[in-house]
Amino acid sequence: MNIENTQSQMRKGILEFCILSIIRRGEAYPSDIVDEMREAGLQILEGTLYPLLTRLKNAEMLTYRWVESNSGPPRKYFSLTEKGMTFYKELETTWNELANGVNKLTNKNESLPTVPDNTNTN
Amino acid sequence: MKKIININFQGRVIPIEESAYDILKQYIDSLRKYFANEDGRDEIINDIEGRVAELFSDRLKRGANCITDDDINAIIASIGRPEDFDAIDAEPAATGNANTNQQQQSAYQPQAPSMPYSRGRFFRNADDKIIGGVCSGIANYLHLDPVIVRIIFALLFGVLFWVYILLWVIVPSQSVQSNITKRLFRNADDKVIGGVCGGLASYFHIDSWIPRLIFALPFIIGIVSSSFHTLFWDWNWGWHFGPRIITNSLGSTLFITYIILWIAVPYATTASEKLEMRGEKVDLNTIRNTVNDDLASMKTRAEKFGSEVKEAAQNLGEKAKEFGSTAGSRAKDLGAEAGTTLKKRGSDFGSVIGTLFKIFFFFVAGIIALSLFGVLIGLLFGGMSVYPLKNFILEGFWENFLAWIVLVFFLALPLIAIITWLIRRIMGVRSRRHYLGFVFGTLWTIGLISAIFLVANLAHDFKSRSGVDETLNITQPTSGKIFIQANVKPGTYYDDNWFGANMNHSPFFGLSDDSIMFRTVRINVLKSKDSSYHIYKVRFSRSPNTERAKQLASNIRFDINQQDSIISLPKGFAVERNDKFRNQQVLLIVEVPVGKRIELDESIDDYEWFNVNIDRRRGRRGINVNFDDDDLNNSCRWESNVEYVMTDNCLERVTARSKKNNNKGGHFNMKIDKDKVEINASGDDDDNDNNSKSNNNHPDKKPSTDTSGYRYHNNKKKIDIKVDSTINIKTSTTQVDPNSSSQSTAANSMAKCEEVSKQHSHSPFLVLEQLF
Repeated sequence: MNIENTQSQMRKGILEFCILSIIRRGEAYPSDIVDEMREAGLQILEGTLYPLLTRLKNAEMLTYRWVESNSGPPRKYFSLTEKGMTFYKELETTWNELANGVNKLTNKNESLPTVPDNTNTN
Repeated sequence: MKKIININFQGRVIPIEESAYDILKQYIDSLRKYFANEDGRDEIINDIEGRVAELFSDRLKRGANCITDDDINAIIASIGRPEDFDAIDAEPAATGNANTNQQQQSAYQPQAPSMPYSRGRFFRNADDKIIGGVCSGIANYLHLDPVIVRIIFALLFGVLFWVYILLWVIVPSQSVQSNITKRLFRNADDKVIGGVCGGLASYFHIDSWIPRLIFALPFIIGIVSSSFHTLFWDWNWGWHFGPRIITNSLGSTLFITYIILWIAVPYATTASEKLEMRGEKVDLNTIRNTVNDDLASMKTRAEKFGSEVKEAAQNLGEKAKEFGSTAGSRAKDLGAEAGTTLKKRGSDFGSVIGTLFKIFFFFVAGIIALSLFGVLIGLLFGGMSVYPLKNFILEGFWENFLAWIVLVFFLALPLIAIITWLIRRIMGVRSRRHYLGFVFGTLWTIGLISAIFLVANLAHDFKSRSGVDETLNITQPTSGKIFIQANVKPGTYYDDNWFGANMNHSPFFGLSDDSIMFRTVRINVLKSKDSSYHIYKVRFSRSPNTERAKQLASNIRFDINQQDSIISLPKGFAVERNDKFRNQQVLLIVEVPVGKRIELDESIDDYEWFNVNIDRRRGRRGINVNFDDDDLNNSCRWESNVEYVMTDNCLERVTARSKKNNNKGGHFNMKIDKDKVEINASGDDDDNDNNSKSNNNHPDKKPSTDTSGYRYHNNKKKIDIKVDSTINIKTSTTQVDPNSSSQSTAANSMAKCEEVSKQHSHSPFLVLEQLF
């Protein structure tokens, strides 16, 4: 149970960042976003996405506009605001820090002689 | 064949199977519930519905006639069920929570949020009020659970009543958002009786056996000490007031507190309430974790349930109900809480009755167990105190051995077992392996068998009774009367206290390491066949065989001492340790010739005769101890301190009852004149003669057979009268009316009386004075 907890926590941490990065590239509507995520290897449920988008919109990171479609009800197309862009940039920095740090650590571990017990030599 | 309905969905008309529609409706409802606290919930729902509508039109465009169950399920799978959503609880969630708080506050607080009052944030809570919302407001201010405040107010009702009224009047009412994150609930998952202790334990973050112990301990101690006390009522332990008052009052206070908590505090039913009970933050994650924990605990509980099938039927029914209802609620979505709450309420009622039964059962079982406990303690202590006697009763290696086994396995073991069971129960520890129970049971059975053997052995030891009799040489007393008394040789003192018990009424005394003194002596008075006094002494004892019995009997030393008409007997006889106690007895047969007298002193009353009967026909054990042995009842009845004369019809009192006079009150007639005083007294003085010296001991007195009473006069003016209490002056007929004309005579008599009384300071005269 606990591993799933940790895993989902990890996922949750980067979710916003991923979504913002997709929207940054251009207007997108939720279905698109889901598809893109899937292509990138990160599954996300629409049920998770919609609330997130709404929150970001309420926090004024995103705006949207309605686009009529003849094959269904009108769709919301989301795009980044300026605030959203700033937010994104900061997240990017954080992400880079994290990624570098984690990579360093994981690579470093491979070159150390394996310690049988879990004593932390650091 | 399914029914198709048309729905207006997102502005479009969609044909959909009815069953599919139900699924869809449920799904939307569950989403609604899930996002209940979200800011922008409607928007989210709308977006999701839009997506669903899009998918609908896709399908319809591709040629489907209507939306089917499968379509709906596929759509739901692709969008996801609420419980599968990743809830974001990082920053956006914080803002989300703040948003929800604001939203709630705005929902609950239609008026301005804060009224400037000097009291700060102390208001009466208008939302959560039972009487006036005072307690709730206080609770709000102090960040406590209102239930706790209410309980405090209820308990200290007398004092806090006026405080309450005051606050009600002064403090303004306000809808205040409940800002407590930690509330006191009863824990339904961790309950023995009502879940009170479990709830308390969660609230205070302690193990649940701690409050259980606190509630149970004074109760148990009280019951144990009262049973202890009753068993040893005769023994002056001296501390029966101290602990009992504390434990009993404390126990009853806690008991009442438990009842109040049980009634007032609600169960934590919903997951959020359960979280509140533990004081954890209530949000979607923790809710999910709680629910998952519930599932896991459900599993282990199901396992426990399987292994606990042996337990009481109520327990079974209770758990099955719980299992069924909780499992049922879990099967539905988290969002269908309203439905499950209703369900739980219904099953709650049934479980209340079940709980009542369970309580009653436990109560009765507890009482039985505890009284058993007390009895065992009593036996144990009794056994320990009998220990010094052990050497006198048990003979041989086997008996000793068996006795030890009995003590340990039969008596001590159940005590240990009960204590262990209690502790386990309180701590909620359940042992899967029941070997402990088997071991205890086997050992106890061994103890039981040993006990039976021991008793049989002992019975065998007392089987044969045999006696040694001898005739004692006595000289005939010169006065024609024999006086029998028991005495203690001067300078010999026996220990009369034994474990604080008074041994004055026990058949033995003077317990020392190598001997005990027994008082098993009996005196039978019979009519002598000739004209002499005779005394026979018979000594009895019991043993497995007659030989040994005779031998033990002859070991008894009981020598009598005669000084003319006074026969002195020892106070008891000694039994050596090696001889063992085998119901040794001494029987004295005193034969009195007709016409001669006998009196037995009250010291004879100290003898305590008893007989151990081994009767194989009656009862399981077949040992019967008789204190009132009447099989040697060919004796004349006698009482101590009364002089008797032997007649043809056995003993008769010397101070014979007047057969014709049935007067209970008695007459007292007195004539005073110059040289003599004549008193007529006749009455029923046969009662209560034990402790009073008879007034007939005077050597000068002539016994009168005159039915009118007694006359005392002699030629000297001195009169020696001993009047005892049975001569009832009250009913005297010689009351002199002070107002009568015979006053002068009365005065004269009075003068005479006084004169006389000055000479003699006998108290009866003072009494007589009052008459005249």
